[in-house]
Amino acid sequence: MVMTGKRGGTRVDAATSGAGPSLEDANMADAPWWELSGYERHAACLVAARSGDRQALDALVQDLTPLVWHVARAQGVERAQAEDVVQTVWLTLLRKLDSVAEPRALARWLITTTRREALRVQRSTDNEAPLVDEVLDKLRAQDGLPEQEVLKRDRNTALWTAFRTLSKRCQEILRLTVLAGRAEYNAVAETLQIPRGSIGPTRNRCLTTLRGALSNETEGGSS
Amino acid sequence: MNPPEDPTGSGRAGEGLSALGLSPEDTELLNELGDLLVLADPVPSDLVARIQFALELENPEFIEIATRAHTAELAGVRSQAGPSTMTFTVEDLTVMVSIAPAAGGHRFDGWLVPSGPHTVEVRVDGHDSQTTAADDGGRFVLTNVPLGCTQLLVHLAVPEGQRPRTVVTPTIMR
Repeated sequence: MVMTGKRGGTRVDAATSGAGPSLEDANMADAPWWELSGYERHAACLVAARSGDRQALDALVQDLTPLVWHVARAQGVERAQAEDVVQTVWLTLLRKLDSVAEPRALARWLITTTRREALRVQRSTDNEAPLVDEVLDKLRAQDGLPEQEVLKRDRNTALWTAFRTLSKRCQEILRLTVLAGRAEYNAVAETLQIPRGSIGPTRNRCLTTLRGALSNETEGGSS
Repeated sequence: MNPPEDPTGSGRAGEGLSALGLSPEDTELLNELGDLLVLADPVPSDLVARIQFALELENPEFIEIATRAHTAELAGVRSQAGPSTMTFTVEDLTVMVSIAPAAGGHRFDGWLVPSGPHTVEVRVDGHDSQTTAADDGGRFVLTNVPLGCTQLLVHLAVPEGQRPRTVVTPTIMR
C-alpha cells in the first residue's frame, strides 16, 4: 500500500471560487458541491469524496469540524483529548465513506459518532487523575487587568462555571445553537435544521437552567 | 432547496439566532456564551489542517484507527520540548513510541506488541514518508524524523491473500 507523503494539490476555497474539480457523480444535486450550502453541500461533498475528490473531503472537514469539536467538548472531554476524538471521528468517516448510508444525514452521523467516541475516551480515563477544567484555569489566569476587564473576566468565569453545571445534552444544544448563530458557520446551521421542531422547547429549558445557575454563581456564589 | 446564505461569512455573529424565535434576553445570553466560547474554548486553529493531513491516506477502507491509550504526557508531547512516550492501541496491537529531540527533528524509538514483521511508516506534513521494518522483538527506530504534523502508520504483515491492514494514529505533533 502506498501512502501519500506530501499534501496533494492546491485547495480550492469553495466559498469564493467559481472553479472546481469535475464532479463525476452529480446525481445528488444539479449543482456541484462548491456552489451549494448547508446539508445539500455536505451531501454532495460526501458523494464526491466517495469517488476520490480530495477537495470535497477537505471542505467537509473545514465546514463540520466545529460541530464535531463542540459535541465532543459538550460531553466533558478535555481539550487535548478532544483533538484526538475529533480526528478519530473523521478517520472513521474516511474508513466508512461508502457505508454512511444517508449523505443528507451526515451531521447526525457525526454527532452520534462523536458522542460514542467521547464516551469511550472518558471510560478509558476514569481511573486516571481527575480532569482539570482548562478553560476555567485559562479564564482565571489573566492577572493584572484593568478593573473593567476584571469584571468581564469574573462574569465569564461565572458564566462558564454555570454552563458546566448543565447536562451534557443542554451543553451540546447551546453550543450548537451558538455555532448555528455565527455567520462563519452557516453551513453548520443549515445542517442542524434537518431535525426540526423538537429542539426548541429543550433549548428554552436549557436557557432557563443556565440563567438560574448563573444567578447562583453571581449572587449566592460570591458570599 | 434552501437558498444559500452568504457563504463568505460577512454577517455579524449572532444574527443567525434571530430565526430561532428566541426572546431578546435569551439571544443576549447566547451571544454572551458565544463570545465566551470563542475566547476560552475555540476550535484549535490548526486542527482542521491536521485532520486534512491525517486523512490523506490511500486505500482508507483498510485502515484501523488506533486510539491513545494513555494521555499523562499529552502536554509534553504537544510542546515538542523533551522526550515523551505515547501508546496507541487497536484491538490486537499496541504501538508504543518514545520521541526525543534529535538534530534537525526527532528520534523515534518504538515497540510493537505483539511483534511481527510489520512495516512502520512515519508521515510528516510537507516531507516524504519514512518507513522502517520492525525487528524480531517488535522494535523500530527512526533516527531523523523532521519536525511537523506527524502521523504514525503500521502496515501489518498479513498472510498472502488476506485483506491488508494498516493501523493509523491521529496526528501526534503539531
